[in-house]
Amino acid sequence: MRYNNSRTLALFYCQNVPGAGERERIGLEKKYGLSIRFFPIACSGRLEPVHLLSALENFADAAYVITCPQGMCRYFEGNLRAIKRVRRTQDIIAGIGLERERVGIVTGLKEDPKTLAEHAEEIFDKTLQMGRSPVLDKGEANYDHCATEAH
Amino acid sequence: MITAQQKPINEIRGMLGPYKRILVLGCASCVAECAAGGQKETAMLASTLRMMAKMNNEDVTIHEHTLDRQCVRDFVVRLDEIISSYDAVLSLGCGAGVQAVAEMFSEIPIIPALNTEFIGETRAQGLWMENCLGCGDCMLYYFGGVCPLARCSKQLFNGPCGGSVGGRCEINQDVDCAWQQIIDRLTRFGAMDRLEMIYPPKNWSRKQGGGPRKIIREDQQR
Repeated sequence: MRYNNSRTLALFYCQNVPGAGERERIGLEKKYGLSIRFFPIACSGRLEPVHLLSALENFADAAYVITCPQGMCRYFEGNLRAIKRVRRTQDIIAGIGLERERVGIVTGLKEDPKTLAEHAEEIFDKTLQMGRSPVLDKGEANYDHCATEAH
Repeated sequence: MITAQQKPINEIRGMLGPYKRILVLGCASCVAECAAGGQKETAMLASTLRMMAKMNNEDVTIHEHTLDRQCVRDFVVRLDEIISSYDAVLSLGCGAGVQAVAEMFSEIPIIPALNTEFIGETRAQGLWMENCLGCGDCMLYYFGGVCPLARCSKQLFNGPCGGSVGGRCEINQDVDCAWQQIIDRLTRFGAMDRLEMIYPPKNWSRKQGGGPRKIIREDQQR
């Protein structure tokens, strides 16, 4: 494992990103250990702000989304929707005094698509510069946040 | 459908100030349809409040729960088993839901997390439009299914003001002229004669003139 876990990045990524197969993910998990938690999703358009918020609340210093390259979404608008949802999440966290940059989205270029590994490294480096999240910096949470069952 | 929007987070936090055990209560009906208070939004608000509390070193417990309908007692009663564990309930119901929960649980503060806006329709994904004032005396038949009270900026009953251009209201170019729509529709139905009648001013006594309104249907009662 190359990295210690002084920072944790939650990385949600579209499975259509180049190099985002199961084997590659396992390799990256070995490389980054607890520093990056990888969450493959069938389409970035399925991601909701609550997923990003939950990551920030529970374990992540930053939560990022990697979408498939522009114009290449198999579901046509998934990566466009993801952009709007990330923006909404940024507004929410800014409202409580967290830096907007703790949530972000990266969309590859159609002509020169980067692999998941390349994206992960870039985003992780950015996360390291951000410092520890003030949400997690207060020690272990003593909040019982389990949702009660909805009727 | 009743539409609503979440209050600013700092206003919500201010109202929750003194409470240590908080239930964030969603409603899976109208406010879920308008993406303000359903299960998803409830989870988001609860998570946001927990993060806010952690950042401020506040020792609070925040749980979330969503009812099918906060405005129907048969659903609200399901809180009976859990509500005593909390100091306050933060409701993501509409004004009716908040009050229904408050009525049933008079010992605990019920705090509104939403501003209730209007009765309207989902025109498109992410777009809700007001189209009914709940006046108690529906006249949509006479106006081709377009309510001049809810949709004409000047609430005119007897024809257009003359200020619209290209089917748009002179008050705001983003607003469709309700009277243009009324005339277009009645023309299509061959029913323009409905506009030959003079409509008297609205009788608002059927809305709120007699205090809070109620509907009693004996055939629906137990």
